[in-house]
Amino acid sequence: MHMADALITPAVGGVMLAVSAGAIGYSAKKVKEELDDKKVPLMGVMGAFVFAGQMINFTIPATGSSGHIGGGILLAALLGPHAAFLVISAVLLIQALFFADGGLLALGCNIFNMGFFACYIAYPFIYKAMIHKNFTAKRISAASISAVVVGLQLGAFAVVLETLISGITELPFGSFVLLMQPIHLAIGLGEGIATAAVLSFVLKSNPVLLDGYNEEVPNPKMQSKRVIVILLAAAIVIGGFVSLFASGNPDGLEWSMEGVAGTAELESDSAAHNTAAGIQQLFAFLPDYGFKGGSEESAAAGTSVSGIVGGSITLGLAALTGYLITRSKKKKVKCQS
Amino acid sequence: MSKLTDSLNKIQSLEELSDGSTVLHRIHPMAKMITTIFFLVVVISFERHQISGLIPFFIYPILMMAIGEIPYKSVLSRLLIALPFSFFAGLSNPILDRETAFILIGIPVSYGLLSFLSILLKTVLTVMAVLIMVATTPMDQLARQLVRIRVPKIFVMQLMLTVRYLSILISEASGMMNAYHLRSIRQNGIALDHMGTFLGQLLLRSYGRAERVYLAMKCRGFDGDYHFAGSRNAGTSDLIFCFGLCICFFILRWCNFSLIVGRLFGQ
Repeated sequence: MHMADALITPAVGGVMLAVSAGAIGYSAKKVKEELDDKKVPLMGVMGAFVFAGQMINFTIPATGSSGHIGGGILLAALLGPHAAFLVISAVLLIQALFFADGGLLALGCNIFNMGFFACYIAYPFIYKAMIHKNFTAKRISAASISAVVVGLQLGAFAVVLETLISGITELPFGSFVLLMQPIHLAIGLGEGIATAAVLSFVLKSNPVLLDGYNEEVPNPKMQSKRVIVILLAAAIVIGGFVSLFASGNPDGLEWSMEGVAGTAELESDSAAHNTAAGIQQLFAFLPDYGFKGGSEESAAAGTSVSGIVGGSITLGLAALTGYLITRSKKKKVKCQS
Repeated sequence: MSKLTDSLNKIQSLEELSDGSTVLHRIHPMAKMITTIFFLVVVISFERHQISGLIPFFIYPILMMAIGEIPYKSVLSRLLIALPFSFFAGLSNPILDRETAFILIGIPVSYGLLSFLSILLKTVLTVMAVLIMVATTPMDQLARQLVRIRVPKIFVMQLMLTVRYLSILISEASGMMNAYHLRSIRQNGIALDHMGTFLGQLLLRSYGRAERVYLAMKCRGFDGDYHFAGSRNAGTSDLIFCFGLCICFFILRWCNFSLIVGRLFGQ
């Protein structure tokens, strides 16, 4: 699911590059804080390992299909999320430069879709939460399969959104989502199983290599915070998908629109108009809970996007509140001591 | 296994190419980076039904590949990776958007077909542009420029080390694959049961190697920092190359060269 340059507009590519550059800056800072110089060559080797590992296919019994390891979760489980994010980003840049696997302007999109979701969403909130400092083969397997699946689902959904906002393809939101998510569910299961197999092997042969293996079990306060975050993540997913399906059968609607009007989108030719429309779509793409295009199709897409954005804003606010609360609590503890 | 050796060959052939000594190789890496990025932005900024305006942009990759002595085979092998995703993402356009844009020699051409072709053209152009940059600039020079534009040094170091380790690990992995296949006849890939052990083994070997490499680096005075060899400053010819091409791209973006040429011949 590497995005190509040809499928995005400069605005989308630029915004995502800026976002990913910010994330790289953040993770670089974090890695520098915790890093001993011994980890530097290790990170390089791990990047190359994931690269090579992804080319080794295994056969899935009875299906005739094959799969390979997923990169993000495996790296995060071994190196920690920050170092893993840097490694994944470097691997993606190498793939873009040497293999034309994903474009250079689309690099920001790809780093976000495949690195950010895996390292900063799926790893801490699914993998770590499920393992909960209790490393057993079963837990590792369940955690890595779920984390890889969730990470890929989020990534695939981001691909849909980035393509949609770019407006290069005619694919209606509903069909694109229905195409991408199930495919990536299958891919995710394959990658998850392979990742679980490798991590279980590491647990058996050299468990110290696993990130967080030697940390002590956390206090229950952390646990409740994690539950809240997971609930909020579920809220986003539900907000996005349910609001889409609540608007009737979008697929049928779009196809019938095509039948009636020939096209469901308004054509506009002048370059200036397009640029303006692009900017508008980027910064204010949710007027009245729907796209400004006004057609039924974009309304369905808009409702769903509104669901996601609304969910994210809620999550952001919640995270901020949670952060402020913990900070004030920490201050209190400090004052008492 | 072929996939592994294939990619190994690809990296090595690109590294060999970038070691060349043509005029294009001698241009300052920063000039090539800016030109490439500008080219990519201009190409993908075309609106989605535009085809004629895109075609003149092929002048750049074709000329550069000739000057830089880059074989066309390398473009094709990269297109095989880049095209399928664009192809399938764009395939719905001619199906969904059937409104006729114009009639060409009696055959109606739809907007959907135009936007589909436009996606394919953009894919070919962007792939060629990146190839030209990579095939004429050694990786360490590119990395040095990344440091100059304030990309975190640890990321650049990571990039360099991954590239350096890639060939080592790929050959290690393909050795293991060979051994495995010799013992499992008529089997594609690796059985799921063996996946954990196989990749886990590769991982442990990599770890061991990383440790030895680290010790060796330490012996040579590694202090956690990657030092880049000094490079020359950009000269007049680099500036002319960069600005000249960027201005050309800019002009081509706003005047449809294909239409002008077409009208000349039409009259």
